[in-house]
Amino acid sequence: MGILTRATKNLTRRKTRALIVIIALSLALTLVIILPPSINAGKATTQTIINDLNNNANFIKSTVSAAATEIDCSLPTQFNLPPPNATGTYHVTVVQPLMNESYYSNLTSIPDVNNVVPILNQDEYKDNYPVYLYGVPLDNASLLSSYPSLLPANITEGRNLQAGDSDDIILEEHLAQQFDVSVGGTFNILGKNFTVVGIEGQEALNATAHATMSLTDLQALTNTAGQETTFKIFVDNIDNVETVSARISSIYPTMQVSAGLSQVNSAQELQTSIDEQVQAAQNNLNQIQSSGLEEISIAVVADAAIILFIMLYSVRERTKEIGTLKAMGASNLTILGQLMLEGVLLSIIAAIVAIAISVFVAPTIANLLLPHSIESATFGSTGFSIGRNPGGYTPISVTITPETMLLGLGTAVLLGALGSLYPALKAARTRPAEAMRYE
Amino acid sequence: MNNDLVLKIENLTKTYKLGKRDVQPLTNLNLEVKKGEFTAIMGPSGSGKTTLLNVIGCIDKASSGKVLIDDVDIAKLPESKLYKIRRDKIGFIFQNFNLVPYLNARENVELAMELAGKFKGQRRQRAKDLLATVGLSGREQHRPQRLSQGEQQRVAIARALANDPAIILADEPTGNLDVTNKQEIVKLLANLNQKQGTTIIMVTHDEQVAAQTQRMLYLSDGKISEDKQAQKETPKHSKENPQE
Repeated sequence: MGILTRATKNLTRRKTRALIVIIALSLALTLVIILPPSINAGKATTQTIINDLNNNANFIKSTVSAAATEIDCSLPTQFNLPPPNATGTYHVTVVQPLMNESYYSNLTSIPDVNNVVPILNQDEYKDNYPVYLYGVPLDNASLLSSYPSLLPANITEGRNLQAGDSDDIILEEHLAQQFDVSVGGTFNILGKNFTVVGIEGQEALNATAHATMSLTDLQALTNTAGQETTFKIFVDNIDNVETVSARISSIYPTMQVSAGLSQVNSAQELQTSIDEQVQAAQNNLNQIQSSGLEEISIAVVADAAIILFIMLYSVRERTKEIGTLKAMGASNLTILGQLMLEGVLLSIIAAIVAIAISVFVAPTIANLLLPHSIESATFGSTGFSIGRNPGGYTPISVTITPETMLLGLGTAVLLGALGSLYPALKAARTRPAEAMRYE
Repeated sequence: MNNDLVLKIENLTKTYKLGKRDVQPLTNLNLEVKKGEFTAIMGPSGSGKTTLLNVIGCIDKASSGKVLIDDVDIAKLPESKLYKIRRDKIGFIFQNFNLVPYLNARENVELAMELAGKFKGQRRQRAKDLLATVGLSGREQHRPQRLSQGEQQRVAIARALANDPAIILADEPTGNLDVTNKQEIVKLLANLNQKQGTTIIMVTHDEQVAAQTQRMLYLSDGKISEDKQAQKETPKHSKENPQE
């Protein structure tokens, strides 16, 4: 029978009281165990959101600023209803009127224009399925590298088109699925075979199934050599976009001129919105930290206070017993040790219960006590959305690791020792004669 | 100090404050107790009996004077050394038994030896032997609340003997007992004294109990007013079972 046995026996002599104290301590310790990893998890989630926001903001800014110096010029579209084909099916086509080389020369001569890129768009049908063909000039590598927006942006399989490609094609994924073609396969359109070099991800739910190839190939395929449907004009500076647009309209009054300038305003609007989201996330981060620390402090103080009061009560109740022990020759250190051990033991038992509780309720408690991580909202007219759960909240995901358990146990030992230190010192310093007289 | 003396008190004075006034329960008290003596201290309430016992037992400090136990003046010792005297030289028996309630009889006896740093095997065997000595064989595992008052006092006596102390100090050991138990406890103490040569100093109000001792001291006004030697046999210092 050592000091540990005595401490254990004393704890078990008043079972109901010990049980109540252990429940109260374990509730406080549950918070002490759950909150630190929850704060870290909450901070990590919020930081990820901030990073996502910043990354997306950078991407949007670069995309929009590139598009902002771009002007698309095309003649007004016409609808064409040719006679039914052999199967009696009518194919309504949207005809984009063609423009010849003179347009190119005139547009190139406009001041402040850096580059004019001819594009050919053609609506065709393959086995009664509408296919939107898109021809891009692939004869100038530097042009492609300067204006990456000319090529499909979202290649999910294979590769993108590159300078010098011929008889190669990129299929939008619906088109590839429709005709069961994959990268390396052959896609026949208008009687000519193309090698599928890449698959483009779906742009939008209602996007037309399209295929992208070299401008030369498409011109040859549709007998439109030297003709284009669209000119993409790249202006040297964003400030000159409006002037150049006006000049184009003055030369070709019927031409549809679409400047990307409007996207700049959207981008600014988007930037402001993202900045607000980042600020909100930053505030959330600070709030998680301050609330969490506040709650941990309360739990720690509550835990130590429970031990302090229960041990003070125990010392008071056992004054005569302490006097007897001293009369029998127990040193101050023995008394101090036994009472502190009782406090620590109580705390350890409560910590074990708290760890068991924490394993099951950690996510619930974390989300109940800590501010939620804000997810970014959708951004108005631009239609962009960022984050995993736009406009909503991401719950804090927290798991209790063995390290957390050990940390909790260590904290419990420390709090048990601290909480019982004063009562134990008080007991150890009690003069035996006074203790023996205590009733 | 004479080799036969286990306790020598010279000019012991104890003063303490009670509110605003000084109370002096012991005044220039002198006393010598020989080894193996069974001494009763008697006197009216407030005469200083328990204070004297507490000073001898190192649980209260003398205000002045000398208190020598086995030649060591405990009046001058600090608390850091006094607990060793209490542990090794003194055995206490209290009126209310003062057993540790959550320990059984054997553990209560062992506790005194554990504090003295004795090994588990050694102290377990001695506790068993001592409980047998006081007539509690088979009751080792019983907690105090499952023992009668007489049995509890026997456990307390076994506990007081555990470290083979120089002096057993008994403060009204029969004060809470019925007549039968009172007689048995006094008989047990007397037997321990006679057969094992244990030095016992016992405070009592009871003339009949005091009559069982070899020496009766009467305390009044903080001094020994009468020192009476009883006509009894000297201890035999045998190791026979004092129950017999």
